[in-house]
Amino acid sequence: MTRASVVGADMTTFGVHESTLSELFAEAALGAYDDAGVGPDEIDALYFGNAMGGQTENDTHLAPAVASQVGLAGVPCQRYEDACATSANAFKNAVEAVEAGIHDTVLVGGVERCTPETGLGTGEMTRIFASASDRHYEQPTGLTFPGVFALLTKRHMHEHGTTEEQLAHVAVKNHANGTRNPNAHFGKETTVEEVLDSPIVADPFHLMDCCPFSDGASAVIVTSDDRADSFDDPVDVSGVGHATDVVPLSAKPVPHATQAARDAAAQAYEQAGTSADEMAFAEVHDCFTGAEVMASEAIGFFEDGEGGPAAAEGRSSMDGDRPINPSGGLKAKGHPIGATGTAQIVELAEQLRGDTGERQIDGAEKAVAHNLGGDAATTVVSVMEVRG
Amino acid sequence: MSLTHDDWTTALENGDLLGVRCSDCGATYGTPFAVCNDCGGRDLETTELPEEGEIYTETTVQVPPTGFEGPYQVGTVQLDGARVTARLEGDVEIGDRVVFDGAIDESGDIAPVFRAE
Ligand SMILES: [Zn+2]
Repeated sequence: MTRASVVGADMTTFGVHESTLSELFAEAALGAYDDAGVGPDEIDALYFGNAMGGQTENDTHLAPAVASQVGLAGVPCQRYEDACATSANAFKNAVEAVEAGIHDTVLVGGVERCTPETGLGTGEMTRIFASASDRHYEQPTGLTFPGVFALLTKRHMHEHGTTEEQLAHVAVKNHANGTRNPNAHFGKETTVEEVLDSPIVADPFHLMDCCPFSDGASAVIVTSDDRADSFDDPVDVSGVGHATDVVPLSAKPVPHATQAARDAAAQAYEQAGTSADEMAFAEVHDCFTGAEVMASEAIGFFEDGEGGPAAAEGRSSMDGDRPINPSGGLKAKGHPIGATGTAQIVELAEQLRGDTGERQIDGAEKAVAHNLGGDAATTVVSVMEVRG
Repeated sequence: MSLTHDDWTTALENGDLLGVRCSDCGATYGTPFAVCNDCGGRDLETTELPEEGEIYTETTVQVPPTGFEGPYQVGTVQLDGARVTARLEGDVEIGDRVVFDGAIDESGDIAPVFRAE
């Protein structure tokens, strides 16, 4: 069943940007306005995501600031923070609001700057990212975010025999996909050897297993099912699942199961009356290669333990039977934290419209997005489909 | 109020590793909670965690945050029914036996240390 429709979508390039957070967000938001053929007078609310602006740029209370930049002063604006799942949660709340009739048409999106344009180097940015791990029971050990996902992935390797070579295949695939995405941070291919020869960040992850620090913004226009047909090219949102797992990591019974993703995916598929088998492709949260392997199992694309071999066999490549991250994913497209969730929605909308050129998944009718936050304790899974 | 962070920290400074055990369902945790996440019970008794356990998972951090000097090993240690996240010494692997060996205070906040047996 249609819960809401996406009628406009756009994103900035992900990479290095000198513009302010508000300017960067405006670039994506104006693109989404134009794509939908609307102006600010037709937007009833802003659902906005930014994870770390207070820490990185001493910039908070951003929702009215970005709203003012795009002509929305006056409408209700709210800002979400759920680590890397920030703007997927904004999207979830926007879908619920239009579905419930609280608003007719809303702007949803996110922005973040993570590159040295913020004035912060790797050590300081690593410290800020680590603020999403447990303040009292993880941060004092020196655990980093590559470290958090390394802990999950090492146990997955132990339980299922997943190998570093299989992880490297995820990076190779996503870099290849990124070469076909003009908005991607990285536009060049890599090889398994290059990944395995790159310096280790936190074993089993080499530098090339990790997504980059990126700046960028993304935005979509969401409207109700009733109003969708008055727009040129609506794409339907048929399910949005959202679940939370216990923190800290030490309290999770099976951390590498990423249980919140399993719960969120089950909700999303049930709302949409569909299943993983009907998805033409997935955009998943590959902040690290191991995260894509775990996500591919959690959303039901592969059996538990098969995510690594499937990547190595090319099953999740563009021409495989279960394509994952045609956009290049976080790994190649980039990961401006608060912009990542709605950037996945942008990719789903454009793919389902058939507008993605040489990275188009032919005949895609339904697709799924998986956006996680923190140690996977927050996960939002969204199912979208061609409007029937 | 059951075990607080302050209680947990003070005990760790004195060489004791505390967790909580739910009186209703028996679940144990390596960190304080106000309510049991397994059953919803509020009667969480403070318990001394075992000093010997097994590595559940581990990694070596080569790129540390500001305030830390790398490389160093971090992991979660299985202590009967509970796990704790700790600094590890002795180049240990999953399944290795480790023993509680005090605490570090590298960033101004305290964390437990486990060493290869
Ligand atoms: Zn209990």
